[in-house]
Amino acid sequence: MALPEVKQTATEARLATLTMPEAGCTRAAREDALARVLEMGLPGRRDEYWKYTRPDTLISAEQPHAALFHSDEPLLFGNLDRLKIVFIDGVFSAEDSDDLELEGVNIDRIEDICCKDIHWAKELYGVLESRGQSPVQRPLAALNTAFAADGVAIHVTGKPTKPISLIYRHASETSDAMLHHIIRVESGAEVTVLENGPAASRFNKCIEIDIADGGTLHHVRAQGRDHERRAATHMFTRLGQESVYKSFTLTVNGILTRNEQVIELTGDDAIAHVAGACVGDGDFHHDDTVFVTHDAVNCESRQVFKKVLRNGATGVFQGKILVKEGAQKTDGYQISQSLLLDDDSQFLAKPELEIYADDVACSHGSTSGAIDETALFYLRSRGVSVKDATNMLTLAFLAEAVDEIEDEELAEAIVNRLEGWLSRHI
Amino acid sequence: MAALDQTQVKEGVDQETVDAVREVSTYKYGWDTDIEMEYAPKGVNPDIVRLISDKNEEPEWMTEWRLAAFERWTKMDEPNWAMVHYPKIDFQDQYYYARPKSMEEKPKSLDEVDPKLLATYEKLGIPLKEQMILAGVEGAEDMPAEGRKVAVDAVFDSVSVGTTFQDELAKHGVIFCSISEAIREHPELVKKYLGTVVPVSDNFYATLNSAVFSDGSFVYIPPGVRCPMELSTYFRINAENTGQFERTLIIADKGSYVSYLEGCTAPQRDTAQLHAAVVEIIIEEDAEVKYSTVQNWFPGDENGKGGIYNFVTKRADCRGDRSKVMWTQVETGSAVTWKYPSCILRGDESQGEFYSIAITNNMQQADTGTKMVHLGKNTKSRIVSKGISAGKAQNTYRGLVSMHPKAKDSRNYTQCDSLLIGDKCGAHTVPYIEVRNNSSRVEHEATTSKVDDDQLFYCRQRGMDEEEAVALVVNGFCKDVLQALPMEFAMEAQQLVAISLEGSVG
Amino acid sequence: MLEIKNLHVKLEEEEKQILKGVDLTVEAGKVHAIMGPNGSGKSTLSYVLSGRDGYEVTEGSATLEGEDLLEMEPEERAAAGVFLAFQYPVEIPGVGNMTFLRTAVNAQRKARGEDELSAADFLKEVRAKAKSLKIDADMLKRPVNVGFSGGEKKRNEILQMAMLEPKMCILDETDSGLDVDAMKLVAEGVNALRDEGRGFLVITHYQRLLDHIKPDVVHIMADGRIVKTGGPELALEVENNGYADILAEVN
Repeated sequence: MALPEVKQTATEARLATLTMPEAGCTRAAREDALARVLEMGLPGRRDEYWKYTRPDTLISAEQPHAALFHSDEPLLFGNLDRLKIVFIDGVFSAEDSDDLELEGVNIDRIEDICCKDIHWAKELYGVLESRGQSPVQRPLAALNTAFAADGVAIHVTGKPTKPISLIYRHASETSDAMLHHIIRVESGAEVTVLENGPAASRFNKCIEIDIADGGTLHHVRAQGRDHERRAATHMFTRLGQESVYKSFTLTVNGILTRNEQVIELTGDDAIAHVAGACVGDGDFHHDDTVFVTHDAVNCESRQVFKKVLRNGATGVFQGKILVKEGAQKTDGYQISQSLLLDDDSQFLAKPELEIYADDVACSHGSTSGAIDETALFYLRSRGVSVKDATNMLTLAFLAEAVDEIEDEELAEAIVNRLEGWLSRHI
Repeated sequence: MAALDQTQVKEGVDQETVDAVREVSTYKYGWDTDIEMEYAPKGVNPDIVRLISDKNEEPEWMTEWRLAAFERWTKMDEPNWAMVHYPKIDFQDQYYYARPKSMEEKPKSLDEVDPKLLATYEKLGIPLKEQMILAGVEGAEDMPAEGRKVAVDAVFDSVSVGTTFQDELAKHGVIFCSISEAIREHPELVKKYLGTVVPVSDNFYATLNSAVFSDGSFVYIPPGVRCPMELSTYFRINAENTGQFERTLIIADKGSYVSYLEGCTAPQRDTAQLHAAVVEIIIEEDAEVKYSTVQNWFPGDENGKGGIYNFVTKRADCRGDRSKVMWTQVETGSAVTWKYPSCILRGDESQGEFYSIAITNNMQQADTGTKMVHLGKNTKSRIVSKGISAGKAQNTYRGLVSMHPKAKDSRNYTQCDSLLIGDKCGAHTVPYIEVRNNSSRVEHEATTSKVDDDQLFYCRQRGMDEEEAVALVVNGFCKDVLQALPMEFAMEAQQLVAISLEGSVG
Repeated sequence: MLEIKNLHVKLEEEEKQILKGVDLTVEAGKVHAIMGPNGSGKSTLSYVLSGRDGYEVTEGSATLEGEDLLEMEPEERAAAGVFLAFQYPVEIPGVGNMTFLRTAVNAQRKARGEDELSAADFLKEVRAKAKSLKIDADMLKRPVNVGFSGGEKKRNEILQMAMLEPKMCILDETDSGLDVDAMKLVAEGVNALRDEGRGFLVITHYQRLLDHIKPDVVHIMADGRIVKTGGPELALEVENNGYADILAEVN
């Protein structure tokens, strides 16, 4: 079917600004992805999946601009023993990164997977993204597969002793970066992946994660510190039998953030938890879009998303649990809540259930409202200032999402970051 | 009902006993008619639109209104966002106008009718004596009312065949008549309100309805009047290949109250039939309208053959402060249902409520829900939706709760529960929640589960067979909604729940 | 009346044998008590007799007045006269207690080829029976067991028993969760139903219920078998010495 003219024009304009990397062995996958982009067209305002988030600036052919942000805050995860992999404006920096050597894991740049004959990676690049295009189209992810210039392939075969930390630095006010990582967690292996940093003026990132039977991946991410950046991120995760995927994202800044999580539970008894805490102030638009597919028996999925918004900030949640025929004994849970600190902020949500199996327990809840006046008064009557009381209640509100982080040290780092933000902003 | 009321008088039994007996008593009614019809030629075009307008002896302005709608409709596309699938409808292969050739025609022998259909009607039950009126029994209208009075406007295919109690209602200033009559007799009211809640160009089906609606009901409740009886429209599609496009307009003037009931059935046909109705409700200051529907259009057979395509636009506009609307629907019929009775909460402190039971079995598909659009301050809305899916059916709740920036201090509470019976059906929930101010509170909860095994075992241990146990548990699951129905409908609905789920277990 | 022979039962989903050859005969007019430590298979026996899913009979038989219970659906067993007073009565939201009772009564009457009870007769009977169990009108209107206290739930079970007039009553840990007053009330209800045509199987962990419902025969069950049978004095022995002695003696 032909694309609407507006979409066709916008797509062509954006594609004209991009060059596909040579990329040897991933070339075929990239060509396929480009074909998908051409077929789908880039997201437009009228697309149902972009009902609450305007994709214009994410797809525009114009060079993005974002002022750099300076802060004297201590670095997130700064005290943590981790393997650092640094990207500056979307380009791998060997100089700033640690040696990519760690027991139980092999790490390579995507551009190296061809010369090193790394079969698993060649077979995965673009595959999960492509699977994730149905039933809902995600053209920005396909665009990423086609044009991403850098990224790493992480092969987890054991249980590395420290987390792998992906750090995204922003150096140019007009950087327009696309990164594509692929991660394969082998049977029984376990890894923690951290991500933080503003990355670029405009950032399009895609991670494909394949977790084999009995594998475990923990993911903790912090986005923020750059007021003007725009980001569209995708995580495509496929889970095998008895595997575990737990992901948490903190977002405290940026003009526009769209985080998509596409999770497919394909093996029995698998567990997937995704959580997000977001604190938005002013010209801030944050969109969590989650799509969980249950395609196996006795799996558990859990989505916990909390947003605190003020000064005209907008929070969006689109979450879906799809239970396919035969995916019996599914336990699916989803909660999305927002705390609106003033009247200019808004929360837009579309929590969905689509269920084709009967022996399931699925539920979702969504609430939106102002801070609890009774609780606020109670704290004040005990001598706590309005500001501190508001902070306390805000943190308490976000706690349910932060609690999803299993590792205490990581949770503490996130809470510290949140507290710092609250003390400055409220 | 009437008999029980008399019992109370005769024996002086306490009210609790009467209530209890009511609660456990069952109702059984049945009817069928077979009437020769007069049709307009198949298809829709400006000539057909003029013909419908002409048959209803409408004034020129109405004809023009229809033609403008038709013009619009030709430029519109059929919506495809709902989670329903059906073969493409050939809108030119439908009759847009059919009416009984003669009102005097008596029902014929029932021998030729499929016994399965007869059985359905027997179990279905149509609550009151309007069975006789509908069947064309002479003088039925003049018979004394039994028990609680319900005035009925019966729409048979394209035309209203009779409205009861008009005189008594007139004493209170209540106008209750067919919309065709209202267009002739009360043009000022129709002109003022028609199309103001559901605009001509609202959506594909509503626009088609605006062009070709053949009849429907009209209600006007004057200021301060509490309508002395329930008003009811009974819709029936009888003729083959006939689309039914009725239009209902209800106006509750300041401080008035009315409870309105709508019931529908259609006979079993191999080919699908189209039903595209529009209901507009205007509620002024301090007025209240309760609108209850029991929809039991023919759902098609076990293989999905035939059945009604039910594409309905229903909307209430709470214009005045403190106005209130309550939609209650029990949707058990139709092959495909596409229906979202909505509330525009424009007046400050206005309230909207939506209670829904949607049951789909076999190959049925339902995509139904509501929209609560909060515009005024201190407005409140409540949504309770119970979806039950069995067989190979698909059941979707689709809803919108929107809090506009000016709708300060408003509240919404939504509860959507889905129940699955069998592993081949689907239950889906698609809510849209838009909150644009922070003094309003929105709460949404949804659950999906199957019928609880422990509950079924408990019932069976007490002697109920599986089907009976399922019906009982499902009725319990629907209780919150059933309670919102007027008594007459609640009884009928409870039985419908059981009938609709027949064959879904085992 | 109830005859159980060499009954072997395992869980359907796992290889776990729970009953390992139970032999038991309950005569009409008699009250048999089954006592035993936790996990001995007492509750399983009640579920298997009433036809709950999840259990597989691997050997043996259970008949009521010569009819094979194990071949019947749960509702057929109920119509045949088996009544189970649940240890944990199930809550059914939205279904009025009265509606539930009437549906059950009429379902059984229908299964036995009897006419349905008229609404008026039914009400009269429920009211009278409820009154003797101190069940008030409010409890009859409320949804089945929803929001009932432990005592209310158990009284409600006995009310159902009284209304359904079964031949064989099985009481599964009916005393659990009850205080002394509630237990007395329940026991009175049960005693009122004792008659020559009816058999009782009272399953309990403690002897205290048997102070109020005097058994004719007491069985001790352990590890899926009946290990000892005696008169009421056997219950007292358990009360005084616990199960350990008896089990040691049997082994």
